[in-house]
Amino acid sequence: MEIFKSVYEVVWFILLIALGVAALEGYFYYHFKYHDRSWFIPAALAVFPAAAMAAAAPILGQYTFRLWLEFFLAEIFIASAFRYLVKGRHTVPYLLLAPAFAGLALLLVYPFIFETYLSFHDLKLTTIMMWKNTGRIPFVGIDQYVKVFTTSPLSEITFWALLGRTLLWTFTNVFFHVAGGFALALLLNNNIRFKGAYRTLLVIPWAMPQVVAVLAMRGEFHSQNGFVNIVLAKLTAAFPFLVHLGIGPVQWLSDWPLATCTLINIWLGIPFMMVVILGGLQSISSSYYDAADIDGASYFQKLRYITLPLIRPVLMPAVTLGTVWTFNNINVIYLVTGQSGGTERADILVSALYKAAFTYNRYSYSAAFAIVVFALLFFISVTYLHGFDAAKEER
Amino acid sequence: MNKERVSIQRKKRVKFFLIHAVIIFAAAACVYPLLRIFSISLRPGDKLFSTDLSIIPAGANFSAYASLLKDTMFLRWLWNSLVITLSTSLIGVSLASTAAYAFSRFRFPGKKAGLILLLSSQMIPAGMLILPLFLMIMKLKLMNTYMGMIIAYSVSSLPFSIWILKGYYDTIPRSLEEAALVDGTSQVGAFWRIILPLSTPALSIAFLFNFTAAWNEYLVARVVLFSSKQYTWTLGLFELQGQYITQWGMFAAGSMLVTIPVLCVFLYSSKWLISGLTLGSVKG
Repeated sequence: MEIFKSVYEVVWFILLIALGVAALEGYFYYHFKYHDRSWFIPAALAVFPAAAMAAAAPILGQYTFRLWLEFFLAEIFIASAFRYLVKGRHTVPYLLLAPAFAGLALLLVYPFIFETYLSFHDLKLTTIMMWKNTGRIPFVGIDQYVKVFTTSPLSEITFWALLGRTLLWTFTNVFFHVAGGFALALLLNNNIRFKGAYRTLLVIPWAMPQVVAVLAMRGEFHSQNGFVNIVLAKLTAAFPFLVHLGIGPVQWLSDWPLATCTLINIWLGIPFMMVVILGGLQSISSSYYDAADIDGASYFQKLRYITLPLIRPVLMPAVTLGTVWTFNNINVIYLVTGQSGGTERADILVSALYKAAFTYNRYSYSAAFAIVVFALLFFISVTYLHGFDAAKEER
Repeated sequence: MNKERVSIQRKKRVKFFLIHAVIIFAAAACVYPLLRIFSISLRPGDKLFSTDLSIIPAGANFSAYASLLKDTMFLRWLWNSLVITLSTSLIGVSLASTAAYAFSRFRFPGKKAGLILLLSSQMIPAGMLILPLFLMIMKLKLMNTYMGMIIAYSVSSLPFSIWILKGYYDTIPRSLEEAALVDGTSQVGAFWRIILPLSTPALSIAFLFNFTAAWNEYLVARVVLFSSKQYTWTLGLFELQGQYITQWGMFAAGSMLVTIPVLCVFLYSSKWLISGLTLGSVKG
């Protein structure tokens, strides 16, 4: 029975069945005006799958239960479609939403479910051919989850080390993004000449395609031809005492990969924070500052008691967004260290996940890994949002 | 009295000088890498690995650009990117435009749940969905095709687009549609004839957002496309840079050719993009 052999084909099959049954049911609905009767949908839910099963059982044998399940799911699908789309009072909005949410269901929700399914099975390089041909993968229960915590996703690094590094990476990056962005925004918010031109130049790292920006910066950290080391070499040549302080050209990409990635990502992320904070600063009415001036407030007092509280509503969403982005940033780390012979000493959780799946071809393992990372992120954001709400109520 | 004023003015001047100095330093740090790419792209072939820091190198020429266009499939890569990106953006924006209208104008059961679903979908790590998408595309035998890429990209920017468009629709007065309804058009007709034309700015921003997201994407393309004929430009450039003998000149030339248009579009649209970014979060 080729038709049952993969999860996808099952979905197609459900859709086909659904279409057929929908046509039939639609006929009943409109011809006999059954939609007024409350028993119709429960009856349809019970009768159609049962009838299908009875008709198909002699031919299908062991697949009977599966067919019944598929009919049942299709029936739920159709019944709710009729109930809410065709007969409901909200036909228009549901129809408007249908394409977008069908897309999201197929390409966001379904992959998520499929990933959960994978994480309880064993799909790897040696079983993928079997899966392609027969649609079957060995079931292993929670083995993959145990492995996530006990073995390395790459070759050496453990989950806990990755977690620590991810938190460090996220914290360092977001801290410098906000600090750098805030400083630049404060400077730009003065009444100075060439403000527009400066602003344009300062957003260039954000505006450049990230692949180009990261690869170019990676080149600048090259041990011989990169800008960073050329400047360091010239500095030590000019001021020999720097050598005694331990400053000099270093092998950035092989000895300090995490520092390199962090520097590159800080460079990339400051403009976004700067622009958002600048927008917030510009919306603060100058009368607050005038009043504070009359009261004789110092610069830092004004910063602490006027600027910070007033840009908080702009800053908090930006920081939340920035934290999630940084936590999930595969791009920078993969582009810097992802080539053959690349190091794993800069990997964070998500980049290790990507490499485990596509460099090491451990599909199920990385599915379990992904679920764990997702749970972690979910837990963090729920705690965070909870704290955020509590802070809101306090005010 | 006069002396004091002079000293205040001097203080002010010093302060402004310092501000300019710091900003110019930061701006240089932002622009210099781009200038370096430009300079490398102009270097003659035998001087690629020099430690020269000048921006217009000695013996500058455009041979890297010529050989990029002639010896590699760069134009083909651009074309692939363009086809994939345009299709995904069109799909994304049209799906988002109707969904956002439903969220903006109707009250129906599940509205709040839908909006929360959209927001929380932004929390799913993008890297997490690459694996199941990759396996789905493999199973559908769409590896290495435009179709596979379009499927993988099409909904990735959908939640964000819906938020932007919903925010914009909310600002269009309902009385316009009501007038149209009185004049005898249907709700869908009002959407098509009144709301859509009025929201061209928001639609173009959503389109641009979809476009840049797909245009600059690398990680999905890496696993779905494997023959260099089908590469998008991101893969192509990575390959130029990643080979044993890094083709720095060609990489730099390609980077320049791709970056300049993207930069122009971004700088032109950044104002709306930012207001869109903050709008959803502030209002939500």
